[in-house]
Amino acid sequence: MLPCNSHGNCFSWGILMATTGSVTKTFAPAKEAPVSERDLDWAVVQKVQAGNVGAFDQLVQKYREHIFSVIYNMTSNREDASDLTQETFIKAFQAIARFQGKSSFFTWIYRIAINTTMTFLKKRSRRRYISYENINEEVSNSEIFERLTAKNRTEKGALVQELQEKLNDSLQKLSPKHRTVVILHEIEGLEHAEIAEITKTSVGTVRSRLHYAKQQLQSYLQDYLG
Amino acid sequence: MAKQPNEPQAEINLEDLLRLKRSERPSDEFWSDFDRELHQRMLQTLVKKDPWYLQVLRGLSGRMAQSAGIAAAAALVAMLVVRPVFIGTAPAGVSVAENAAVESVAARVEVAMSELSYSEATSSASARDYGIDVISAGETSRDAGFKRDFEMESIQLASYDTVAYSTDSAQSRASFATSGVASLVF
Repeated sequence: MLPCNSHGNCFSWGILMATTGSVTKTFAPAKEAPVSERDLDWAVVQKVQAGNVGAFDQLVQKYREHIFSVIYNMTSNREDASDLTQETFIKAFQAIARFQGKSSFFTWIYRIAINTTMTFLKKRSRRRYISYENINEEVSNSEIFERLTAKNRTEKGALVQELQEKLNDSLQKLSPKHRTVVILHEIEGLEHAEIAEITKTSVGTVRSRLHYAKQQLQSYLQDYLG
Repeated sequence: MAKQPNEPQAEINLEDLLRLKRSERPSDEFWSDFDRELHQRMLQTLVKKDPWYLQVLRGLSGRMAQSAGIAAAAALVAMLVVRPVFIGTAPAGVSVAENAAVESVAARVEVAMSELSYSEATSSASARDYGIDVISAGETSRDAGFKRDFEMESIQLASYDTVAYSTDSAQSRASFATSGVASLVF
């Protein structure tokens, strides 16, 4: 699999892996023109459109974690996120014959995910169940938790749980539109223009929503900042 | 200046906190279950057929759309082809219709006038020749005096003929008067 940055661009490194017996030598990547992620996805999409249904699995493997992450942070519920992620891929699979490649597959699938989640959130407005994913142990041992523990003078395990709840609560206090922008930019690392394309808004609107959402979050998470 | 990794005094900003959310990732087991369920659901969507009524609706809507398109095209062609013909013939048609209407009105006026003159003629003749009298049973009893007054005239009128006729006439008038049937008085 090609290495990709968080903005959806992959680079064909041209890694020459010469295997001589048990020794593997990796040469420095040659400078090549970046292979557009969009083109790679489009090639796979065309395979699926031609009847190679199995090729769709490549797209699922590639995007499932990103889609799940967005939906999970939107809903704060891992079971709902799992169902909605599956629903997103099924919708994409059913509609892939109509996908003409005018936008990138990445934008298209994110848009399906966001729309599916928004519809779900409207229906779910009355009840809300929270079920969190575990924070990776590596992260809980990271520098930021060291600093937070030192600052708050609390036990690290309790702090991790407390902070996770506080972060999720704060995100849920935002409106779905503001939450979407924050999640896509701050957690998924998408550019303003990409978010604008996904949400079908202007870049200015994205910036404005992001600014407002961050102000809100800062007030909610004041105890942990600074 | 580069940040010290374990420097406790470094500030924590919002982006740092939000970045922690990236670490909330499901386990590998979760993804294996996810893949299995997704494949099952995808197979179901491949195998699953629409209900018969949806298929019929889809077929109908396709045919309806097709026929609506054909009808619209036909209407457009008709507008383009037939309308100039109407534009060319419309004044002539109107004048013919107007002439026919004028003629028919004149003919009707003539007929009406002739009828009027005929009815005037007949009414004056009938007034002169005939008198229609309606005698009902009630009227007979009410207008008994009237009959009594003019009874002699009718008898006298009959008396111009033979005696036998006069007696018959008198008897018949009496019977008519009681039965209330219309009788003509000459």
